[in-house]
Amino acid sequence: MEKQLQDKARELLESGKADVIIGYGWNRDKSHTTPVFIKKAEDVGKLVFNKLCVNNLSVYLTRKYPDVYAMGKRAIVAKGCDIKNIVVMMSEGQLKRDEVHIIGVTCDGVIFDQDAWAKAEDGSADMGAELKDAVTATKCHNCDVRNPHLTDTLIGDKSNFTPPDEPVGFVFDKIKDIEKMDSRDKWQFWMGHFSRCIKCYACRQVCSLCYCERCISDKNMPQWIETSAHLRGNLAWNLIRAQHLTGRCTFCGECERACPANIPLNVINQKMSLVMGEAFDYKSGYDPKEHPPMIVFNPDEDKDDFIK
Amino acid sequence: MAKKILKRSDLTKLVASVGKAGGAFVAPKAVANGLVEYVFIKKADEIEFDYIVPGKSFKEANFPQTEVVARFKNDPEGVTVEGVELNPPRVVIFGARPCDAKSSESLNSVFTWDFIDEFYTKREDAMVTITVACTTGDNACFCTSVGIKPDDTDGSDLLLRETEGGDFTVEAVTDKGKAFIKEEKAVFTEGKATPKERTIFEPRKLDVDLEKIGEYLKDTDHYEGDLWADMARKCIGCGSCTYACPTCHCFDITDEGGFSETERRKNWDSCQFDFFTLHASGHNPRDRQYKRWRNRFMCKFNIYPGKFKTKGCVGCGRCVRVCPVRLDITEVMEEISGA
Ligand code: SF4
Ligand code: SF4
Ligand code: SF4
Ligand code: SF4
Ligand code: SF4
Repeated sequence: MEKQLQDKARELLESGKADVIIGYGWNRDKSHTTPVFIKKAEDVGKLVFNKLCVNNLSVYLTRKYPDVYAMGKRAIVAKGCDIKNIVVMMSEGQLKRDEVHIIGVTCDGVIFDQDAWAKAEDGSADMGAELKDAVTATKCHNCDVRNPHLTDTLIGDKSNFTPPDEPVGFVFDKIKDIEKMDSRDKWQFWMGHFSRCIKCYACRQVCSLCYCERCISDKNMPQWIETSAHLRGNLAWNLIRAQHLTGRCTFCGECERACPANIPLNVINQKMSLVMGEAFDYKSGYDPKEHPPMIVFNPDEDKDDFIK
Repeated sequence: MAKKILKRSDLTKLVASVGKAGGAFVAPKAVANGLVEYVFIKKADEIEFDYIVPGKSFKEANFPQTEVVARFKNDPEGVTVEGVELNPPRVVIFGARPCDAKSSESLNSVFTWDFIDEFYTKREDAMVTITVACTTGDNACFCTSVGIKPDDTDGSDLLLRETEGGDFTVEAVTDKGKAFIKEEKAVFTEGKATPKERTIFEPRKLDVDLEKIGEYLKDTDHYEGDLWADMARKCIGCGSCTYACPTCHCFDITDEGGFSETERRKNWDSCQFDFFTLHASGHNPRDRQYKRWRNRFMCKFNIYPGKFKTKGCVGCGRCVRVCPVRLDITEVMEEISGA
């Protein structure tokens, strides 16, 4: 599969169809994968794809990266779930279909936490180790895009995986637990987690759907959200972010992975996704022509009549 | 003479005794799934012993994420400004690591440089640092490559070493440490012989040359070189590295509140944010993320060593572990050392 990927990358660079390949490479110790930007055909050997390729590289397609944009025509190595984010970006006018060459890779799931992966003596990743449920991202247990849904090039063997009817895994178990709590316990649960927030904004920076150049949290005339990392400011920030992602979040899981305070952000975003599914029969990331419900004004299709 | 011993089972007494005297106790605690942090604890059974270094350093104890430094009141008579007089209690930091202990000196250089920041110094004066030498570590640890040892005493008031039996031998480093032992003599006991101590962890030695890195960074030709974009383009500017780092010290002053009452706060800030250097005109001298990352590297290995005698980086490896794109500072150090 890697050979196929590297050959394709070479072909794209040599033919001028792409000036830069945004993909995955090894770190020095081969313990983690890390984003690479391949500009020269002779460097395509650096490209890898394996179960440690957890990053959602689509963030580099946003306007937060003018230097990546300036590199020329962009091609990106993307798993099905990463492509969901690209689709949302397209549906929101952030990216045109012909502005990026999508090298879709079929996928058997990735591990959520690269540090938790089995390590060999020298600290490198043990690629022979089995992908256990416990270290596999919840999204992968429920994945319906292991065969990527929007690509220019498809790499890898077809996956025969069928996702379960009802979502399974840690995130959904937690959602069920929280649903059973009364409002006081819910409040305490979230305040307990938000109290650890340090306002680093890693959750925002890693998310390709947080593409605003001026986030509301950075606006200080007037100031909308207190920048201080006290409980009031932390609650305001996390609620605003959850709202801004409602109906848009694709559950790529990057925000939670990046959060240095281990706040279960997936649980918030997935709960919101479930609500959007029930209310609007909508799931983000599948159709670039369909707009997320919260940015659509459409009184004709409103199933409630209170507003008419 | 046999070394003094602190029994693990006596920590309960120690925590209680420090609390009774009006002090606070900070120790590593498992606060969330897979995350250990230095936090204020009330009971010894909250202490976590199985950790390499906690997620963030204990700089929070002296340099909180957010704190009020002044208050304003606006009423018909006019505006009144009220300063905040700090009178911090004793804070005992238990379970510091030698790299973190060393970093206190680095923060101190900044906060006592051209202005004495009492919000920092008063807290530091009231702090007792009890370090536990490292018997475990990982591939991100690199203290020995920046001139620190995993059982260094610098910056600690007491250095503990774990014994095979799970207790600690005690080495008093400073007068403050000696005085602390005297005050808490009920828990610092003396046996006939020193029990066997656990083997100290040996971090891997990187192929780096700090002097060469310093020279490279001083050469302004390298400032606009390709290295920064090539190695740091992947940085997403999340700021986690700076918030986790024991020597990062940047803060922002912000006013918060309403019309009649306002607080002036001192909040952590990060050079990795695009807002950090954004001018009111709209111009941003560090207009790309890799330039912000270059600044962080410059700060650690050129600016800091140029201004102070203390270390810009203590090799704790936090920035490596926490980075969501695995931008590894040691890879850049090696690249420049080999250049
Ligand atoms: S969600 Fe699907 S495409 Fe994404 S990493 Fe998991 S299995 Fe692969
Ligand atoms: S909010 Fe989190 S899970 Fe959702 S798209 Fe953004 S990074 Fe991914
Ligand atoms: S990544 Fe986590 S700690 Fe950082 S701002 Fe987001 S929620 Fe807070
Ligand atoms: S730069 Fe990284 S390794 Fe050095 S002290 Fe800071 S967090 Fe630790
Ligand atoms: S180096 Fe890593 S941790 Fe630091 S700001 Fe960049 S992406 Fe975040």
